[in-house]
Amino acid sequence: MSFVVRGAADVLGGVESWRMWWMLAKNDVIRRYRRSRIGQLWLTLSMAAMIFGMGAVYASLFGTSMSAYLPHLGTGLVLWGLISSTIIESCLSFIENDSIIRQVALPRFTYLLRTIARNLFVFAHNLIILPVVYLVFGSPINWCILLFIPGLLLVLANLAWVGYLLAILSARFRDIPQIVASIVQVAFFVSPVVFKPSQLRIDHPVLVLNPFASMLDVMREPLLGNLPSATSYLILLGLLIVGWLLSLAFAGKYSHRVVYWL
Amino acid sequence: MAHIVLDGASVELAIYNSRGRGLKSEILRRTVGGGLQNDRDSSIQVVKALSEVSLEARDGDRIGLIGGNGAGKTTLLRVLSRVYPPTSGIASIEGRVSSLIDLAMGMDTDATGYENIEMRSIMLGLDYKQAQAIIPDVEEFSQLGDFLSLPIRTYSSGMMLRLAFAVSTAVHPDILILDEVIGVGDAAFAERAEDRLHNMIQKASIVFLASHDNNSIRRFCNRTLWMKGGKLMMDGPPDEVLAAYAADSAV
Repeated sequence: MSFVVRGAADVLGGVESWRMWWMLAKNDVIRRYRRSRIGQLWLTLSMAAMIFGMGAVYASLFGTSMSAYLPHLGTGLVLWGLISSTIIESCLSFIENDSIIRQVALPRFTYLLRTIARNLFVFAHNLIILPVVYLVFGSPINWCILLFIPGLLLVLANLAWVGYLLAILSARFRDIPQIVASIVQVAFFVSPVVFKPSQLRIDHPVLVLNPFASMLDVMREPLLGNLPSATSYLILLGLLIVGWLLSLAFAGKYSHRVVYWL
Repeated sequence: MAHIVLDGASVELAIYNSRGRGLKSEILRRTVGGGLQNDRDSSIQVVKALSEVSLEARDGDRIGLIGGNGAGKTTLLRVLSRVYPPTSGIASIEGRVSSLIDLAMGMDTDATGYENIEMRSIMLGLDYKQAQAIIPDVEEFSQLGDFLSLPIRTYSSGMMLRLAFAVSTAVHPDILILDEVIGVGDAAFAERAEDRLHNMIQKASIVFLASHDNNSIRRFCNRTLWMKGGKLMMDGPPDEVLAAYAADSAV
C-alpha cells in the first residue's frame, strides 16, 4: 500500500508541473511542422485523405453506401489514432526525455503527461474533419453527443495508467516498444474500426474481451448520435480501478529507478 | 535555508551492455514473454559509482570537489541535484537546486532565441510571468540584440553558449551545482561571464563546484571534498585537501 501512496505522489506532482508538460507538448507539435507552409494542417489533411481513401474501398467491399459507412469509419479512424499513438508513444515517454531526466528532478508522470497532451493536440486537429464528414454524409447529431466528453475522459484516464506502466517497463526493457507497436497493429484489425460492431454477434469475444472495442464505443457512438452500451462503461470503469491500483503500486516501487536505466 | 545531509549514500549503476540487449531481443523474437525473466544474466555489470558517502552541508558552504576521472564526482553532483536517488543510504536535500552541468538542456534549435528563453525558464521552474521578467536581463547580458528573434540554429556555437549561459544564470537557486567553471565566448564576454557567475555563487546558499583546476577551487571554495573510486577520501579546507590529493596523485 505504501507503494501506491508513493506512486500517487508522483502522479499528483506530475499534474502540478503542468507548465512544463504543456509547454513541451505544444512545442513538440509546433516543431514537427515548423517551416512547412501549411504547418499543423498536414495532420488534418493526411487523416482526411486516409478516411476518404479507405472509405471508398471498404464501402464497396462491405457493399454499403458511402453515406452509411463513412461517418462510422471516419470517427473510428480519428479515435483510433488517439488511442494507438498515445499507447505507442507512451513507451518512449522516459526514453526520449533522458537528457532532462538526468538533469532535473521532476515527477516522472510529467513526461507521460507530455506524451498524452501532445497526442491530444494532434487529436484536436484531426477532430476538425469529423463535422465535415457528418455534414457531407448527413449523419444525425443529437443530445447523445454530450456523452462524448465523459467517454473521452474515461478513455484518457485508462490510457494514462497503461502508458505509465509501459513507460517504466520500456525504459528497462528496450524491446517493449517494439512489442507494443505490433500488438497495437493487430488490435486495429480485431477492433471495430473498419467494420461495425453490429456486423458481429453482440457477445462476440472481439467486442467483450477487447477493451479497445469499449474505448471506441464510449467515444464513437455519442458522436454518431447513438447511446454507448452500458457494458462498455462497466468494462472501462473496472479497468480504470484495477489498472490504476496496479500501475501506482508498480510506479511507487520502480519509478525512482528509471533514471538509472536510461 | 538550504541544508544537505548525506548519510551512507551509495549509488550502484547497472550497465546493460549492447551485447546483452541484442541477445535479449533475439531471444524475445523467438519466445516472446519468457525473455523478460532474463534480467539476471551475465551481460549486466554493476558499477558502484558512489560508495557510502556521508556529509553535511550548511548555509555558506562553498564546496569544491576534486578527484580523477571516474572518481564519482558527477555521480555525487547528480545525487545532490536529486536526479539520482541513492540506491542505499539517505540523501536529504532542502532548498531549490539548480545545476549548470548541461547548459543547453531543453533548447530547441528551430525555435527563436526568445522562445528558447521562455522554454528554458519554465524548465528552471519559473512561471510565464517570471519567464517574461528575466527577458530584459538576458537581452542585456547576452548582447545578442536582434539575433534573439532568429531561430537559434542560425547561431554560432559561441552565440548559442552566450544565450544558454545568460538564461541559466538569470535564476538564483539556493543550491548551485557546477561542473567546472564555465568559460564562454570571447575575452570580453568571458570576463563578464565570470563576474556573473561569481555573483551567482555569492548569492547561493550552498555551492558545489567539481573542478580539475586547483586555482578555481582555491578561489571559490572554503571547503573541499576529495573523491576516489566512489569513496569520499577527505573533507576539509581546500589547501590541505589539495595537498593530500597532489601527494596521492604523485605516487
